[in-house]
Amino acid sequence: MFRMLLLLCLALPALATEERASEERAREIIDEMEQLYRGGSSDATMTMQVQTPNYDRTMTMSGQSFGKDYGFFRILGPKKDRGIATLKRDEEMWNYFPKINKVIKVPPSMMMGSWMGSDFTNDDLVKETQLIDTYSLDLIETNDQYKVILTPKEQTVTVWDKIEYIMSKDPLLPLSQAFFDEDGEKIRELTFHEPREFDGKLMPSILEMRPLNKEGHLTRIIYDDIKFDVPDITEDTFSLRNLKSRF
Amino acid sequence: MLTFKIALRNIMRQKRRSLLTGLSMTGGYMLFVFSYSLLEGSYGNIIDIFTLDNTGHIQIHKDDYLDRPKIYKTIQNRDQVEAALTDSPEVKSFTPRVFSPALAYAGDKTAPSQMIGVDPDLEPTVSRLRQKVAMGTYFSASPNPDGYYEAMIGRGLALTLKLDVGDEIVLISSGADGSIANDIFVVSAIIGNKTSFDRMAVYLPLSAAQTFLSLGNDVHEYALLVNDKDENEAIAGRLTELLPDVTVSPWQKVESTFYRTMQSDKQGNYFTMGLIVFIVFIGVLNTVLMSVLERTREFGVLRAIGSRPMQLVRLITLETFMLAFISVMVGFVLVLPIIYWSSEVGMLLPEPVDMSGMEFQNLKGELSAKVFYIPMAFILATAVLISIPPGFRAARILPKDAMGSH
Repeated sequence: MFRMLLLLCLALPALATEERASEERAREIIDEMEQLYRGGSSDATMTMQVQTPNYDRTMTMSGQSFGKDYGFFRILGPKKDRGIATLKRDEEMWNYFPKINKVIKVPPSMMMGSWMGSDFTNDDLVKETQLIDTYSLDLIETNDQYKVILTPKEQTVTVWDKIEYIMSKDPLLPLSQAFFDEDGEKIRELTFHEPREFDGKLMPSILEMRPLNKEGHLTRIIYDDIKFDVPDITEDTFSLRNLKSRF
Repeated sequence: MLTFKIALRNIMRQKRRSLLTGLSMTGGYMLFVFSYSLLEGSYGNIIDIFTLDNTGHIQIHKDDYLDRPKIYKTIQNRDQVEAALTDSPEVKSFTPRVFSPALAYAGDKTAPSQMIGVDPDLEPTVSRLRQKVAMGTYFSASPNPDGYYEAMIGRGLALTLKLDVGDEIVLISSGADGSIANDIFVVSAIIGNKTSFDRMAVYLPLSAAQTFLSLGNDVHEYALLVNDKDENEAIAGRLTELLPDVTVSPWQKVESTFYRTMQSDKQGNYFTMGLIVFIVFIGVLNTVLMSVLERTREFGVLRAIGSRPMQLVRLITLETFMLAFISVMVGFVLVLPIIYWSSEVGMLLPEPVDMSGMEFQNLKGELSAKVFYIPMAFILATAVLISIPPGFRAARILPKDAMGSH
């Protein structure tokens, strides 16, 4: 009896450390993976396909990133939308429309709105990198996969009640992210496909976002090319002045 | 023929009583016709205002666009629809339209607006858009020399955005392909006034609106006028058979809230009119009953010399009917000029009613056959109905008792 109690006493703190270890380990894995293909800066060209029951639409765009907090996207085609650009700095976002020469800040109320008519929300662009800061992580390891369950930290305002993030171990690549609402229902799923080597780094070349509450909707982003640590990209790239520059 | 003669004689026998009874029926008829004409006329006027102003007599949409407008619910088989409309002789004119909510910018001001794309040439054949231009000039289908299309904006929007004719207006909306529609237009005219239904509207030439919304050649709506507006529901039915892919709605469905309100208001008015007739006929019933009682002996004699009970019922019914008929005829002659005046000149309203920028000052009656014959039929039918109980009373008279009474 006494032995068992003693064992329990010893085990409890050990369990707690293990939990903390799980959280830290998960953070490390995600950091490692994101570092892998975000690097210091990146310059990509990509194709975005939006499928809905009512229309299909394909856009080509360029995207630059700098660290975690800066992002810049510009639509290259079709001709009608050419030049429309989005600038992201920290948690703020602006859209630029060349035809009317206007920069419009995305208001907080529009953060859950669709980005350029796709199934990605503006919030996805702004918040993607902050996920691991606002959620607490829980790691479940299997033979060839990591499964990280993200639950909101107490007293933080988040959109999702739970996110399941699945990665393959070798190579360390994201496989899918499932987003759950407060009723525990799976609302949408982001899956990663066809890993390719870009600029010496292996990363998924296709992202598919599928909202499960809207039948027939799908947004696919295909990376055509991506370069890392491009010297041309500095903090100045992500300025409002640059957003408005005709190109 | 004999019954007819006797009936006529009976009417003439008590001239004063017949005259008074007749006058009450004449008055009732005139009142009925007048209020009926005014009711139909004022509603007819309102209906004309909004059907000719904007709605049209019939509208065509895709599926349930009318109830649940979505930008991608468009009419795609335009050639087929337009061919069917051109071939229908009862359709006077038609015009295509597209709609979308849009955010309007001018300088640093923004306002929500309703973007309406119309064909600059066809639209005036259906609606009064051209007449509603308050400032500036009606727009054209082609862009100006700088490549900007022209827009006509509602007065409310012009005031909110502090826009004048010749200024630039920026519109942002979402396109049918999920893209963000954005473009600059030049204000060519300001439409209507502050209270018009389209005070926050931006009218664009159809092709510019289609490009703006990435709609291709599709449209959301056809509005059409027909030659005989009272036939519009039947014509809508025929067009539905011709065009099974689209939804054809008469204005009664497009403006269903107004239509239902109108119907219930009309019913209330019909009830009031029925009440007038009822009161008139209580008096008439009294008169007929009195005359039957007064003539008990006479009916006794008739029965004694071999009249059948039904003949007596017929006699009394005919008497009342003839009196009612004469009264109604007199009433018709008297009320005709009044109705004619009210339909031509009408009553001047103390304050003009404004309907989307058009002012209406007169309350006008309707001059049509219906306005006269419906009250007429109603009064004659009531007259017959009301004379049946006294008739039966007369028919039940036994000669022996009747002779005995004084």
